[in-house]
Amino acid sequence: MGGDHPSQECKAPSTPGSKKLRSLPLGLYLSGGIVALVFLLGLIAPLIPYDPAAAVDYQRQLAGPSWSHLLGCDGQGRDIALRIVKGTEAFFWPGILAMTIAVIGGAACGACAGYMRGWVGQAVRGLMQLLDTLPRLVFIVLLCTILDPGMYLIATTAGVLFIPTIAAICRRKVETLASEDYILAHIAHGFHPAWILGYHILWLQCRPLLIRQACTVFSYVLFVETALSYLGDYGVQEPWPSWGNMVAQTREGVGFWPWFVPAVMIVVSIAALLAFGNAIARREEAMR
Amino acid sequence: MKRIFLALLRRILGGFALLLGASFIIYMTVRAAPGDAIDAISPMGTPPEVKAQLMAEFGLDRGPLAGYGVWALRSLCGDFGDSLVFAPGERVMAVALPAFGRTLLLAGGALLVCLCFALLWAACNPGGSRRSQLLGASLYGVTSAPSFVIAVAFAQAVNELVYRLVDARGFVTPSWYPIPIACSSMMPYLFAGITLILSDGLLIDLVNYLRSELQALRRSPFIAAIRAKGARVTGHLLKNMVVPILSAYASRLPVVLGGVVIVEYVFTLDGAGYVLLEASKNRDFPMVVGLSVLFTALVILVNIISDVVKGWLDAREVAHGG
Repeated sequence: MGGDHPSQECKAPSTPGSKKLRSLPLGLYLSGGIVALVFLLGLIAPLIPYDPAAAVDYQRQLAGPSWSHLLGCDGQGRDIALRIVKGTEAFFWPGILAMTIAVIGGAACGACAGYMRGWVGQAVRGLMQLLDTLPRLVFIVLLCTILDPGMYLIATTAGVLFIPTIAAICRRKVETLASEDYILAHIAHGFHPAWILGYHILWLQCRPLLIRQACTVFSYVLFVETALSYLGDYGVQEPWPSWGNMVAQTREGVGFWPWFVPAVMIVVSIAALLAFGNAIARREEAMR
Repeated sequence: MKRIFLALLRRILGGFALLLGASFIIYMTVRAAPGDAIDAISPMGTPPEVKAQLMAEFGLDRGPLAGYGVWALRSLCGDFGDSLVFAPGERVMAVALPAFGRTLLLAGGALLVCLCFALLWAACNPGGSRRSQLLGASLYGVTSAPSFVIAVAFAQAVNELVYRLVDARGFVTPSWYPIPIACSSMMPYLFAGITLILSDGLLIDLVNYLRSELQALRRSPFIAAIRAKGARVTGHLLKNMVVPILSAYASRLPVVLGGVVIVEYVFTLDGAGYVLLEASKNRDFPMVVGLSVLFTALVILVNIISDVVKGWLDAREVAHGG
C-alpha cells in the first residue's frame, strides 16, 4: 500500500521495482524456454509411435551422434533422442496432476486455515501439521509397497503431501491480508467470503507464490519419477523409456554418453522449473 | 518461566499427538491394501502360521480402531514384529535401529557441514553485488541437481579417476573400488555425505535463508547501537543466529532424509534408506512400516528438540508461539 500506486512504481525508471524488472528477462526467458520445451515434448510424446522391442538394433550399439540419430544410440542400439522425448510421458501428466492437487488443495486449505476462526480453522491447521510430518519419499515408498505402484498413484501422493507447504504459505498471506482495508471494504459491501478469498486474496495476491510452488511440485514429481525409475522397481520399467531408467544404464557399464544425456536433461529441467517459478514470482512481485 | 515451561510441555504433547496421528495414517494405509490386507502385505509363499502372526501383530483381525490400538501399543514399546525377508526371524528394531543410527549420522553430519558452509558463504557474500549474484547463480547451477543424479555422476567420476590413477597402473586398489561395493570402509559414507551436500538445492536454499536472516540482523537497531559504541558485532551476530540456524536444521532435515534414502541405495550403504528400499522390494512389510514410523518420529522429534532449544535460548520464540 503505502500510498504509491503499483503501476506508477513500475513505470518510474529509477525505482528498485523497475530495476528488478529489467534484470529479470534473461533468466526468465532462458528457464521459460527450457520449461516450454519440456512441456512441448510432454504434449507431443504420446503422438509419436514407439515400439520398444522394434527399437532395439544391436548393429547401432553405442553409436555416436549423427544426423539420423541426433544424440546417438544406447547399449541396445536404441535412439537416445527418441527415448528422451518418449521419456517425458512418464512424468508430464503425473506432474500436471500433482501440481493441480497440490495447488488447489493447498490454496483451499490455506485459505480456510487463515480465514476461518474457531474449530474449523484449528482442524485444518492440525491436519496440515499432521500431513507435513510424513516424510514424502518414505511415504511414497510405503504406498508403493502396499498398493499397485504406478506414476499416477505416486503423483497423487506427492500432490497431497505438498498441500501443507502451499497451505502454510497461503495461510500466512490470508492472515496478513484479512485485516487490510480493501478486504474489509469488500466484506462491508457484502461480497461472498468465497469470492473474496478465491479472487481478491488467492488469485490476485497469492498467484506468484502459487506459480512458484506449482513449479516446485512439478519438479518434485520429475525427481521422484526419475529416481524410482532409476531404482528400477516402482517407476517406469524397461524397455519403456524414462529419463531415470536411462541413467540406470550406468549399471550396465555402457559408457558415458547414454546415461549422461538423460542425466543432463533431468538436472537442466529441474533447475529450469525452479528458476522459472522463482523468476515468475519475482516478476509479479516487482510489477506490484 | 512457568509460561515457557507450559508452552514447551504443550509442544511436546503436541508432538506426541502428531506422532499418533501420523502412525494412524500409516496404519490405515496398510489396511487400505486392495483385497485381503494380509495377502497384500505378506510376501509370496508366506506360511499360514506366519500370516496369522502378522495378522495379530497388525491387528488386522479386529476393527480399524481396535486394530490400530493394538498395533500402536506394540509400536510404542518398540515392537514392530519380526522381519520377514530382509533379515528373517530378527526383530525389526534390532535391524532398523543400528541402520537408522548410521543414516542419522550421515544425514545429520551432512546437514551440519552444509549449514557451516552456508553460514560462511552468507557471511562472506552479503548479496546485492554483481559478484555475489554471479556466485549465487553458479552455486544454484552446481547444487540444484537431484541427489541420485549427483550420486551416479560422482560414483562414475570416482571410479574413472581410481581406474586411471591406480587400477590401470597396477597399484593396490582401495577396498571401496569400484563403487558401489559392499565394504567396511568409511569412504563411501564420505562420498555419500558430499553428494547430499551438493544435491537437491540444499546448499543454495540454506545460503539464501541464512543470508536474509543475517542481513535482517545486521540492519537491526541493536547491532547499529553496538557498532556506534565501536564494539565488535561478530559475537552478537553469532549468538542471535543460533535460533535461525536451529530452525534451518530442523526444517531441512526431512529434505536430507528424503535424499539419503536414494543416496544410500546408490552407494550400497547399510543405512535405513537402503534397508527401507530393499525391504520394500522384497515386501518385508513389518520392516517397511517400522522404518516409516521411525523416519516420521525422527522428523517430529527433531522439530520438538529444536523448539525446546529455541524456547530455552530465546523466550520470544515461546511468546510468539514459535
